[in-house]
Amino acid sequence: MIWQLDLSILSLIVVCAFATIMVKDLLSAAIIFGAYSFLMCLLWTELGAVDVAFTEASVGAGVSTVLFIAAVHQTSRIVKPRKSGRMLSKAVGLVAALLMGLVLVIAEADFPGFASPFSPASLHLSPYYITQTLHDTNVPNIVTSVLADYRGFDTMFETAVIFTAGLAVIAILRRYKRDDSTEIPESYTISEGYPDTIIRFVARQLVPFIQLFALYVVAHGHHSPGGGFQGGVILGASFILLAISFDTRMIIGLMSEKSNILLGNIGVLIYAGIGFLCLLLGANFLDYSILSKVLPATDKIMARSHGMLGIEIGVAIAVMAIVISIYINIISHGKYDKG
Amino acid sequence: MDVVVIILTVSALVFFFATTVGLLRFPDFYSRMHAAGKGDTLSSLIMLMALVFYNFHEFNLANLLVSMKILLIAVFIFMASPTATHAIIDAGYESDIEPWTKKPEEES
Repeated sequence: MIWQLDLSILSLIVVCAFATIMVKDLLSAAIIFGAYSFLMCLLWTELGAVDVAFTEASVGAGVSTVLFIAAVHQTSRIVKPRKSGRMLSKAVGLVAALLMGLVLVIAEADFPGFASPFSPASLHLSPYYITQTLHDTNVPNIVTSVLADYRGFDTMFETAVIFTAGLAVIAILRRYKRDDSTEIPESYTISEGYPDTIIRFVARQLVPFIQLFALYVVAHGHHSPGGGFQGGVILGASFILLAISFDTRMIIGLMSEKSNILLGNIGVLIYAGIGFLCLLLGANFLDYSILSKVLPATDKIMARSHGMLGIEIGVAIAVMAIVISIYINIISHGKYDKG
Repeated sequence: MDVVVIILTVSALVFFFATTVGLLRFPDFYSRMHAAGKGDTLSSLIMLMALVFYNFHEFNLANLLVSMKILLIAVFIFMASPTATHAIIDAGYESDIEPWTKKPEEES
């Protein structure tokens, strides 16, 4: 904690946030938003929340910037000037925002003081996690054990939310008929996209290493920052890199629509299935310690560790499939045909 | 060892400074990207080398592994950064951005 560094990063974040709203050019706004995410990641690293920073770097600064740019690429780049005469709706919005803020401020008064050492969370919960995690689950990274074991139920539904988001994007954008009457906006083209040898070569050389790193992140989430979400996003990003540098059709050849949806399903299913397996073996839902009955050569503590690894793999598969399918849907107007 | 670390860090900062000055002062898109791409790659590499040496205060296996990982990051930057610069400049060339010239009549 160096407060000068924190302060400068925080002020840069505020500047970036305002710039993102004010800039008329949407492509610039997307890129500034990427910078905002990256500064956020630095700030979280500085505060010691390395897992969150990792997620922000891979999701916020990486994939979501690419998705924004793909969306801008398919629609229009410049914000059209709003017509005046919207004062009433603006006033209603302002009043609603102020009321909501008031409610939040009133509700906040009941909370314990910010970072107070006497709040219930820091009196009972955190010390338990900090002292007992290694003993309970044999996992050195407390964040992973809290996320995947103690609060596994939450994380299962987070995965389900990501899956639902992917389904929603497919439901909105996917078009099956060739001659659809919906008007497609003229896409804003940066370059013609002819085959570039240098970019293709480097992308082809780098992708295996990126995927290897992603698997490492998934599997090593117990001992170091990382886990299913980050690893899945990096895996998806490696496919997006291929799609950008080569051809979207090639990616569809590698990961067809069916296999994408199937993989998303399988990921969520692995997670829920491990939970049901625990239920079948006679313990509570997602209580991995009972898995020692079926896993060879494990005691109850190692079984919890292995159970976490299993659900992390499920999360990674689901996230990867969903990221790829969102990208393909956005970039091809839901038609799965062009690059 | 400390001397090596300090020399590397300071030279990396000098290169970073040169990159920033180039980015702000060069006249057109291509020369700005030239400054950004070259300076960024070199100074990041030097900074990572400084980190590798800094890591060897106590020589043991764990430190060696961390240094290997930093070197791998350096290799990644060495491949990815020039390619990204190339891609951006290529996109600029494709969308017909005129290079800057010294002729006064070009400044219409």
